[in-house]
Amino acid sequence: MNELVWIFISALLVNNFVLAYFLGLCPFLGVSGRLETALRLGLATLFVMLITALCSWLLNTYVLIYAPYLRLISFIVVIASTVQFIEMVIKRVSPGLFRALGIFLPLITTNCAILGLAIFATNKGYGLVEGMTYALGAGLGFTLALVLMAGLREETQIAPVPRLLRGTALNLIIAGILSMAFMGFAGLFSAA
Amino acid sequence: MKHRDPKLLVQPGPLLKQPLTTSMAMRDVLIALAPATLAGIWMFGLGALLVLLASIAGAMLTEWTFLPEDKRRDQLANGSALVTGLLLGLTLPPALPLWMAFLGGTVSIGLGKIIWGGLGYNLFNPALVGRAFLLAAFPVAMTTWSAQTGSTDFFQVAASNLAAPLMHLDYDGVTSATPLGLMKFQQQSTALWDLVIGKTSGCIGETSGLLLILGGLYLAFRRDLDWRIPVSILITVAAFASLLFLIDPDRYPGPLFSVFSGGLLIGAFYMASDPVTSPLTPKGAWIFGIGIGLLVMLIRVFGGFPEGVMYAILLMNAATPLIDRYTQPRVFGKGLKSPQGGHQ
Amino acid sequence: MPKSQPDAYQEFIKGLWRENPVFAQVLGMCPMLAVTNSAVNGLAMGAATFFVLVASSLLVATLKQWIPRQVRISSYIIIIATFVTVTDYTLQALVPAIHKELGAFIPLIVANCLILGRQEAFASRQPVGLALVDALGMATGFLFALLALGSVREILGEGALFGVDLFGPNFEPWVIMVLPPGGFLTLGLLLLFFSWLAERRQKLAERLAEMEVEGS
Repeated sequence: MNELVWIFISALLVNNFVLAYFLGLCPFLGVSGRLETALRLGLATLFVMLITALCSWLLNTYVLIYAPYLRLISFIVVIASTVQFIEMVIKRVSPGLFRALGIFLPLITTNCAILGLAIFATNKGYGLVEGMTYALGAGLGFTLALVLMAGLREETQIAPVPRLLRGTALNLIIAGILSMAFMGFAGLFSAA
Repeated sequence: MKHRDPKLLVQPGPLLKQPLTTSMAMRDVLIALAPATLAGIWMFGLGALLVLLASIAGAMLTEWTFLPEDKRRDQLANGSALVTGLLLGLTLPPALPLWMAFLGGTVSIGLGKIIWGGLGYNLFNPALVGRAFLLAAFPVAMTTWSAQTGSTDFFQVAASNLAAPLMHLDYDGVTSATPLGLMKFQQQSTALWDLVIGKTSGCIGETSGLLLILGGLYLAFRRDLDWRIPVSILITVAAFASLLFLIDPDRYPGPLFSVFSGGLLIGAFYMASDPVTSPLTPKGAWIFGIGIGLLVMLIRVFGGFPEGVMYAILLMNAATPLIDRYTQPRVFGKGLKSPQGGHQ
Repeated sequence: MPKSQPDAYQEFIKGLWRENPVFAQVLGMCPMLAVTNSAVNGLAMGAATFFVLVASSLLVATLKQWIPRQVRISSYIIIIATFVTVTDYTLQALVPAIHKELGAFIPLIVANCLILGRQEAFASRQPVGLALVDALGMATGFLFALLALGSVREILGEGALFGVDLFGPNFEPWVIMVLPPGGFLTLGLLLLFFSWLAERRQKLAERLAEMEVEGS
């Protein structure tokens, strides 16, 4: 039980996917301009991450022990097609949810945070429960970083930021400061 | 348009009080910090004074370099860079190499203020941005605590203070752990009275609890800060600490120790309450303060660092736009302070 | 100057400066920030990306008439993933120490938007030769950027470059530079520096043009 809490906190705060591993930077910098969008993208990512954890566990357990060199290709293909399939199901079953998350799903599938999750979970040798907990923490951590960033960026849009800094340079520096603040979580619960 | 500049803060009527200007607010902060600053210099000696001066010089020089020529005089005269440099200096260890203090001042203004478009637009407390940078960059130097020198060898400056730029020299005097460090790593408590009057090792300006509170009360009296923020931080920390103390008094320190140790008082009164980087509404201020209190205790008790005030404030600074958004009654567009949003 | 025949030299040189994947287009940051805490790691990551990008572009440009439009993106990804797997295993065999440092970030080259972007925007529309030149230019530009970032971070973070000590034993390393925040801050400041350079060049060019007008 303790182990699971630690996996969750670690993925959520200590080793935040965006702020400590630099994963998912493209959407992080691209979509974090508006709070609403950021929140939806974050939740959509969480959703895809949970599916990814499940898929990669199935692949690792039943397929890849016979052909480890196929890992990368099979991860990509299986995750992408599962997400596409679920997207179609959602569209049929719940149009509201599809409108909220749908447009982001194809974007997310090829995002390095998703692939990173599958690879890290594999390298750490997580089982199904650990893998799902890891995905939950990573997805919520991604959402947290994205939402904080979006809030900050909305404020900078009305500030007289020096012209040369506008855009990616400023966003990266903000991310750097945020990443410094997240260093406060280093070692959290590791002694316990 | 969002009115975040302190000089545009809407004060509640009837407007008997003079409108608050930046330079007046900064003067008040300097007056409030004076006792703790002098005490810090007295206790840690000439080296501490040099560290403060280096940090202030770094802050003011950076401000001067990056301001357009026509604004330099006004902006430097309002004293905001001076306050930032001083606040940073007060949170540095007394034996820190001077070049690091200078660099910290530079980073505080550069990354804490200039990139955001100047005073009133920065979203993180500038002094803490500089300090977080220094702690991440130089973890050893930033956690080497010299013992208090006392009045006898006031003029003795630690060799490490005078290290050449980019270099380091080992600290040559007596080191001693901070009360929080002792607590965390050796389960050793410090006498409460020593904490209150500041007879402990620590950052230059964070030790004298009593003087910091006095200055804070002055600021609250002058209405330069929203009293809700320090009050909610201190109550949260005290409550959390009491709870832990009741569970296991051998392992966890009591509430008074938690409030008076580390950088909590200087953080709560002088940094978290910065009107530019804290929420606009009273409700937001409560959420902000409670959040800081919880994060401080989370990091102190369960985290890897003995002290978490700096990180707690920076993290809640990051959450401030979200707090503002969800606590603000939206009247005319977003961002304007509502009439009942002032000091009640 | 209106764009005339695509010129091989132009296609190559654009990736180095004007359309540099990192400094001008800000692509492929995920892998580049994570592993550039030293010049060697930056170089290794750059080289791995170089190989994958050039090989994929070559293959995509060669096979383009046989790839159906509807499944082109998936096909590109599978081609890229194949080359990444090859690179992963090759590095593991040849330089196990570096492979261990880069760790999970080698497989993540697949998700580098730069590589997929070049296939979709260039290799699938141009003859093989031009696609090759374009890939070479972009890959070199990317390599150069990784090396620059890795060097800055290693010089400040370790006081060394390619493991060679620069400042003597008393140097105080800026530990933050090899930590995540250092990556964000360094890239942010480098971007700022490059846009400042670009602006200066543009201003200079404008002034030259003005002087020419006045002269005539």
